[in-house]
Amino acid sequence: MSGINFFGIRHLSPSGAFYLREYLNETRPELVIIEAPSDFGDTADDIVKKETKPPFAILAYTQSVPVRTILYPFAEYSPEYQAIMWCHENSVGFRFMDLPSETFLALSDKRIREAEEIADNAENDSDDFDNRSEITEHKPDVYEMLSEKSGDGSHETFWERTLEQCANADAYREGANLFGKNIRELSEKTGYDAEETALREKYMRSVIRKAVSGGVSPEKIVVVTGAYHVEGLRSWDIPEELSELPSLSSLHTLMPYSYYRLSTRSGYGAGNKAPAYYELIWDGLCRGDRMYAANAYLSKIAAKTRESGSAASSAQVIEGLRLSESLAKMRGGKIPSLRDLRDAAETCIGEGSFASISIAAADAEIGTKIGELPEGVSRTSIQDDFYRLLKDLKLEKYRTVTAQDLKLDLRENIRAGTEKSAFLDLNRSFFLHKLRVLGLDFAKWTPSSQDNATWSEAWVICWTPESEIVLVESALKGDTVELAASFAIKETVEQAAEMSVIAGAIEDAFCCGMPAAASYAVSALQAAAVDAVSFEELAKTAFRLSNVMSYGDIRRADCSAVEPILKQLYYRACLILSGSCVCNDDASKAIAEAMNMLNSTELAQSFLDTEKWTDALKEVASRDDLNTRLSGLAAAILLERGQMTNDELKTEVSRRLSKGVPADLGAGWFEGLTLKNRYGLIARLSLWESLDEYLASLDDEEFKRALVFLRRAFADFSSGEKDSIAENLGEIWGLNGAEVSEIVNAQLDTASQEQIASLGDFDFDL
Amino acid sequence: MDSQILRLPAEQLFQEELDALIKAEKDPVPEGWKMSPKSVKTYICGGKVGKTVITPKYIGHERLVEIAIATLVTDRALLLIGEPGTAKSWLSEHLTAAINGNSSRVIQGTAGTTEEQIRYSWNYAMLIANGPSQEAMLKSPVFTAMEEGAIARVEEISRCASEVQDTLISVLSEKRISVPELSLEVPAKKGFSVIATANTRDKGVNDMSAALKRRFNIVVLPAPETLEEEMNIVKTRVEQLSGSLDLNAALPKDAVIEKICTIFRELRNGETLDKKQKVKAPAGVLSTAEAISLLCNSMALAGSFGNGEISDEDIAAGLQGAVVKDDDKDSVAWKEYLENIMKKRGSSWSGLYKACRELNE
Repeated sequence: MSGINFFGIRHLSPSGAFYLREYLNETRPELVIIEAPSDFGDTADDIVKKETKPPFAILAYTQSVPVRTILYPFAEYSPEYQAIMWCHENSVGFRFMDLPSETFLALSDKRIREAEEIADNAENDSDDFDNRSEITEHKPDVYEMLSEKSGDGSHETFWERTLEQCANADAYREGANLFGKNIRELSEKTGYDAEETALREKYMRSVIRKAVSGGVSPEKIVVVTGAYHVEGLRSWDIPEELSELPSLSSLHTLMPYSYYRLSTRSGYGAGNKAPAYYELIWDGLCRGDRMYAANAYLSKIAAKTRESGSAASSAQVIEGLRLSESLAKMRGGKIPSLRDLRDAAETCIGEGSFASISIAAADAEIGTKIGELPEGVSRTSIQDDFYRLLKDLKLEKYRTVTAQDLKLDLRENIRAGTEKSAFLDLNRSFFLHKLRVLGLDFAKWTPSSQDNATWSEAWVICWTPESEIVLVESALKGDTVELAASFAIKETVEQAAEMSVIAGAIEDAFCCGMPAAASYAVSALQAAAVDAVSFEELAKTAFRLSNVMSYGDIRRADCSAVEPILKQLYYRACLILSGSCVCNDDASKAIAEAMNMLNSTELAQSFLDTEKWTDALKEVASRDDLNTRLSGLAAAILLERGQMTNDELKTEVSRRLSKGVPADLGAGWFEGLTLKNRYGLIARLSLWESLDEYLASLDDEEFKRALVFLRRAFADFSSGEKDSIAENLGEIWGLNGAEVSEIVNAQLDTASQEQIASLGDFDFDL
Repeated sequence: MDSQILRLPAEQLFQEELDALIKAEKDPVPEGWKMSPKSVKTYICGGKVGKTVITPKYIGHERLVEIAIATLVTDRALLLIGEPGTAKSWLSEHLTAAINGNSSRVIQGTAGTTEEQIRYSWNYAMLIANGPSQEAMLKSPVFTAMEEGAIARVEEISRCASEVQDTLISVLSEKRISVPELSLEVPAKKGFSVIATANTRDKGVNDMSAALKRRFNIVVLPAPETLEEEMNIVKTRVEQLSGSLDLNAALPKDAVIEKICTIFRELRNGETLDKKQKVKAPAGVLSTAEAISLLCNSMALAGSFGNGEISDEDIAAGLQGAVVKDDDKDSVAWKEYLENIMKKRGSSWSGLYKACRELNE
């Protein structure tokens, strides 16, 4: 009303940013008031530093659990950012006018709690809600209606066509104000978020009032706000009482941001699906070339397509441009929108298929740009801790963008003078594992090339700005790297649906050298183990725990807490082994693997009761009603452990491989037997005699069936092993071993291949 | 309109709609066109002009229609690619009907198409009697389209031999045809363009050269996205066709159309609609166009030999022919589908199942 100049914008709008600057140059205000949390004022000094390169974001987060966050991303083409820069360049004062972030956090906390309650009541299950939330602006059905009505397919295109392509500042300002007004009228009907909007606008009005009463004349003030709020702020001069605001104590920090994140999170404002393309629009505006974005977008796609080895000619770019222009013309526009451009690129460069330009399109629309902040800005306590540790562990030289290898020797360095330097590498390992747990891609763990090298670890270290972003976000989990890592482990344990995930967390905790987190995870595992019913799960978990215990010494960790739980898992696994062996061949693979794991666990840990395991195996080996493959494997394990004598084996073989037994069962058993301990088997001539007798006893039809299974059993024998078998057979048949070997190892000729192929249609159910 | 004619060209069949659109035209009309690009889109995708209702000719994917029209506004040629039965020729016919009011400048690509058929040939009697002259020349549809500034259609371009296809390269890049016999150069008038259609999955197609492809803007027409969309297409087309073919049978019920579309979609995609079960897909292409002709066929059966109401037996006969095209594997796939999927679908499907099984015993 009385003189204040409002400039309605959309939050990430290149035209808004460009025309806002023009408008400010024209009106020459003394004060600019910007819609952003009013307590963010202290970040302004860092924002205007010349080392600061957008995109960056302001992150506010609560100090109490559960952590709530809000995120305000800025790109170069954010009107708010350009307003701040303009004020800085022209030495004009500015202030932020929105609710303080503490209030936003309190409101969002309340909203989430309410939503959780509703969800709990509705389903009564404990769906974990994402406890990070952002301010979602008014995005009710109004936008869906707009998408539909505009015929543009989406309201993004509508906005781009109607407002981003405005020819001058006045048109933008009027258009945006009208747009905001209409959206406002429509959403008032739906009543979405009405309460919060009312509160925010009331607060913003009070800030404007304060500014005016502070002595700035209204005509000399420009208010930069979302187009939606312009109408709500016009009546700023009517005094009103401001009730007390809810608040949650919080901190905030600047952090670098990336276009990729900008495109995936549409938190603040209406979001920005194509930041790289919007930057092209911004560049075009600055160059005064309206078609710049269209030209650049298509050229970028062509260049990227060429990079990946496909042909893309300039002629195609030109044709694409012409097509996009005529598409724009069909809607009455002159400048193609992103949608027109993308469709034109698909038609002309991708030859009708989007798949062939999809990578190039992602690059031209989203891009890989990452923002930068000056050294020292954006130091949350976890960052401080991180850099301190980096220095402490002499890892600073690895903080570069080129990847470097780091080999660690976890053993005590006996020549070192102090305890600290003696265990430097171990501490480094703890530190890097913590970062790994936090999801920081700073250091990548590469599996050791030496088998069983418990004391050595290899890492590839490479610093990316993305790591910094993740690090800042980890501030939400804890104030130091250690606290954050232990929080992350705790989170994994709480959300774990499978026991082996918890076991993985225990492993992680030991790798990180965090006994407290480990014991928390161990007790969680104990609870989960009670309900565990699957043998595979138990064995897998036991195996991982056994690993932890084996490597415990070198990491100077006390693994005594793990021992009882490992025992418990082991007993349970032994008890349910025979029950789990009732399964089909598909399922038997997983169980066979699990049996091997449990066997190695038992061999590795001396405190486990060996008899329990061998008893269980004996039962499986002797019973006829279980999966024969697994019975075979059980026999193989017993044989390997010396729990089955040659005579016993011979009896078992002739029992399993006798004529009455269906061929698939017999051969399945034999396959199981050969899964392990092959040299032992090959050495036992009696075994091959029995097999030979068995095969000789089969008639043609039975032989065909057995053949399929036996072929499978011998498929992964090496040719050396086959040689030895051939020798055995040669001895049995009284032939020369070499001759037999030649036949066994020979490539199939076409005729036999055809014969075998015809077996594919063989009906085993007969 | 002449009811004696089996199939009227689009511009005659929908003359009223075209006239109404031309009369109500408000937007600028490109040179050589009868109406504005916007009106062309309304004609194809349906809408309303004054009191005249424009029936949709192409359902779904309006954006693709927009791209196709926008291509023709520039002087680029348009290539419609897709599996058989995705309405490529249908769309090209209606585009030319709306843009030029004449969809008959068409070359049907076959293995026997020659270069002369794309450029020009001679009336040999006149050629021998009088020597080369304008009168002795037989102009191809492409030739006349160039002279008149109109759009020529080349159907099934990929069926032509590659060297014949490549004749189009010079036509499309130079936009002129030279007649050395008469030392004549015929330049194309504004408005000239070519719409070609090509198959991706059929047997007996020749690859298009990259040089030729570059001269086209390529639009890929997909199979209908959803069951509803496909049902809608089938229903609309069967209604239109049965009117002109006098089939003497009631239109198929929605339930029947749904069954046919379900079977076609499941066999085409190799899985059931709920994505829970895999289905063996037959080698042949099961297009929407085939679903349409299957239903018309069933109507003809019902009208001529039945009580005028489509029965399960009528459909079964059509399905058998549509699914089992050439070899035994199709037959196996079809039998498996009958036993594993259709049999378990409950009572509403049992009639059709029995009818189909009888044919397979």
